[in-house]
Amino acid sequence: MTVEASVEETVKKIAARIIRKPDIVFSPDTTFKDFGADSLDIVQILVAVEDTYDIELDDDELQNITDTAGFLAYIERKIAEKGQK
Amino acid sequence: MSLKGKIALVTGGSRGIGRAITLRLASEGADVVINFFRKRSTAESAAEAVREMGVDAHIIKANLAEPEKIERMFTEIKDTFGRLDILVNNAASGVARSAMDLKPDAWDWTMNINARAALLCAQQAAALMKQGGVIVNISSLGSRMVSPMYTAVGVSKAALEALNRYLAAELAGQGIRVNAVSAAAVETEAMKLYTSDPNIPKPMVTSTPAGRMVQPEDIADTVAFLCSEEAVMIRGQVIVVDGGVSLTSMSPTQTGERGENDAST
Repeated sequence: MTVEASVEETVKKIAARIIRKPDIVFSPDTTFKDFGADSLDIVQILVAVEDTYDIELDDDELQNITDTAGFLAYIERKIAEKGQK
Repeated sequence: MSLKGKIALVTGGSRGIGRAITLRLASEGADVVINFFRKRSTAESAAEAVREMGVDAHIIKANLAEPEKIERMFTEIKDTFGRLDILVNNAASGVARSAMDLKPDAWDWTMNINARAALLCAQQAAALMKQGGVIVNISSLGSRMVSPMYTAVGVSKAALEALNRYLAAELAGQGIRVNAVSAAAVETEAMKLYTSDPNIPKPMVTSTPAGRMVQPEDIADTVAFLCSEEAVMIRGQVIVVDGGVSLTSMSPTQTGERGENDAST
């Protein structure tokens, strides 16, 4: 299993647990709101991802991300940046 | 009003009203522990500002919705300082929904951070205040007046103010003074976010008898006073800092409220 796949599966599990929807798909055509997430769900997803990977997700940067695929790519980038420090 | 040598914890102390309180207590000589939720850089900026005043600053990340994170925060305070003198329960969060649209998760989130965390922090703090201390709870006028979309926060602040009285009575014997500061129409980023919702009226400066919006520093000044020896006989009170807006006949819905929008802290 590649690191990228592992991150996708982990983040998918986190999001699915919080939104209570098992069929989360990361794609450029979907947003978390499409799966019924509200603002509280999104904050809780961010917190859980940050705690899981010990990273900090920047709210200003996140505002530019409009879809779930972009969100996953952003998390993977933050994990990679942490690994380089 | 010297707090020299005191050790203070300000929850949510890295921005907005919390940051103003952090800096105000530091200006009176207190070493400050700054609790933050997510953004470390903001907390470090506040800590840097504290250290420039010649006192110590320590930052601790803790999600106050999680009891074990609160416990861990106080363990770190105990290990680092050995005691605590001042606790400011400032951190707040909320989901902007009307009463009819409020879901159980949103209610729980708001109550857990705004009221339950204050109780858990007070319990932990009291154990570190063997020589006495001060607890100040930050509330808002939403505890007693209605503002649009403010149900969860307003109810949590009402709970906090009741808790304020119980803590004041129970902890007095331990030499711990407890009071609250109720803020309204405070100019913060959180207020701007709350009033950015088109359903929520903008705060009307002209309706405030004092003639201006309340600034975070106004809240911080009152907190600092309550932490001082000059306030020793004030117990279990809620000091309203609102420029007089609650005195007017203007509808509360036209005055706006300090609050948090959409699960932010």
